[in-house]
Amino acid sequence: MRAEKVDKIATAVVLSLAGLVGLLIISFLGYLLVVGLPNVSWHFLFSPAESFKSGGGIRDQLFNSLYLVVLTMLVSVPLALCAAIYLSEYAPQNRLTATLRLAIEVLSSLPSVVIGLFGYLVFVLQFGLDFSLLAGALALTILNLPLLTRSCEDALQQVPQLQRQAGLGLGMSKWRVTTKIVLPAALSGIITGAILSAGRIFGEAAALIYTAGQSSPAISYTDWNPFSPTSFLNPLRPAETLAVHIWKVNSEGLVPDARAVSNGSAAVLIITILAFNLLARLVGYLIKRRLAK
Amino acid sequence: MTEQIALEVKDLHVAYGDKRVVQDVSLKFPARQITAMIGASGSGKSTVLRSLNRMNDDLATVTGMINFHGFNINQPNVNVYRVRQQIGMVFQQPTPFPLSIYENVIYGLRLAGERDRQVLDQRVEESLRQAALWDEVKDQLKESALALSGGQQQRLCIARTLAVRPEIILMDEPTSALDPVSTSQIEDTLVQLKEQFTIIMVTHNMQQASRSADWTAFMHQGRLVEFGPTSQIFMNPQEEQTADYLSGKFG
Repeated sequence: MRAEKVDKIATAVVLSLAGLVGLLIISFLGYLLVVGLPNVSWHFLFSPAESFKSGGGIRDQLFNSLYLVVLTMLVSVPLALCAAIYLSEYAPQNRLTATLRLAIEVLSSLPSVVIGLFGYLVFVLQFGLDFSLLAGALALTILNLPLLTRSCEDALQQVPQLQRQAGLGLGMSKWRVTTKIVLPAALSGIITGAILSAGRIFGEAAALIYTAGQSSPAISYTDWNPFSPTSFLNPLRPAETLAVHIWKVNSEGLVPDARAVSNGSAAVLIITILAFNLLARLVGYLIKRRLAK
Repeated sequence: MTEQIALEVKDLHVAYGDKRVVQDVSLKFPARQITAMIGASGSGKSTVLRSLNRMNDDLATVTGMINFHGFNINQPNVNVYRVRQQIGMVFQQPTPFPLSIYENVIYGLRLAGERDRQVLDQRVEESLRQAALWDEVKDQLKESALALSGGQQQRLCIARTLAVRPEIILMDEPTSALDPVSTSQIEDTLVQLKEQFTIIMVTHNMQQASRSADWTAFMHQGRLVEFGPTSQIFMNPQEEQTADYLSGKFG
């Protein structure tokens, strides 16, 4: 009888705590959307921000955020994937690789503000990149690498050992086994992990304030020359992202509708991250289905 | 023995780190015959098998000679990929790749650079016939290999190994994951295959060894206890340990 009672109480406690967590998250999300969505309109999404007047939009900030994610992924995915392949397929179990894993672990819990200041000192000042998308992308790469490496490694580890052996047994070299058997089988997991990490860095602000900068000079979306200073593609221009914009409007915004702008921006940010997550699931599902066919 | 020898193992020692798991094994595997390796779990039989085509390279230290056509393949400068094309391996669990049946069978051939469609088509049919799978799958060659039953998948893996035309096929408990019907199909297949291939098989299943193998090697605690014609090992073992194991006193 006693064990049964304890079991019931434990179940009730676990359920109600889980419910509490769920409720907190849902009400937080709900609040963001309810307060933010009324401020979102086509005008808000597609017009540039104002400095002193009300009625400004977030066109450039939204584009900057997306572009920065693309730039960051271009740098971090190849690096993370190579590191993951090494760790999963080649690394011997010794002290050196244990240290490497520990380093990745530590790097993953580094506060993003520290990464931002590091980026400011190294990329902005030392490398002379100034406040730029490139400096921001490099800072975000540091932020992104540990978790992305880990998720790629996990995806590779999910591939059954037997598949590798079957390849080796047919006379395939290790590199062939990795590229022809392991990578295709892990592709779904790798892409899912990459998109999820893209969502994570999309919302990053602290690492960008001192690297990508807090200003959005006028840019032209018709100027396709990435070397032109006003081109939207120029990776060396300073670029305020959406998350930085929210922070800035709230802390030192001079526009009268600062609240409305930051609420609307937060809603757009959340919805975009949600879209990243849904996309990750969809892509993962589609690849799995194609492989199973 | 007047038998032709496919593979000769001399003074084979295998250690995982400091742990010696196989000691002083010397064996001659007769060509185009089935040799079964039996013994309790941990007796080292799988380790010996996996050493024969260098699958233990990254895991263990293997010393001793493995002579294949008079050439010791257990040397550092030997091309292990070529060795494994000559000495193929089939594993405990079926391991089809997530591709079509056709693509699975010709995987090794494609790897070797074969592009001629006719050659590939012909080799697929030949290999699937040899593995006694052709009649069951000939109309669905383009479909996923993952849709096949476990027994069919294992025969597909055998066909995939045959398609590279090895001389020797190593099998590590090839039927341990299969039901009795699939098991007996595979055993029938093996008997046909030995006309062209040398088969060395590790098995936990005594009946399987006595049914299909021509030769049997009994291993115990990392050592080869007895090797001889299967009938002799089972009916008239020379060593007490062999007799004890076969009568179920340990194992």
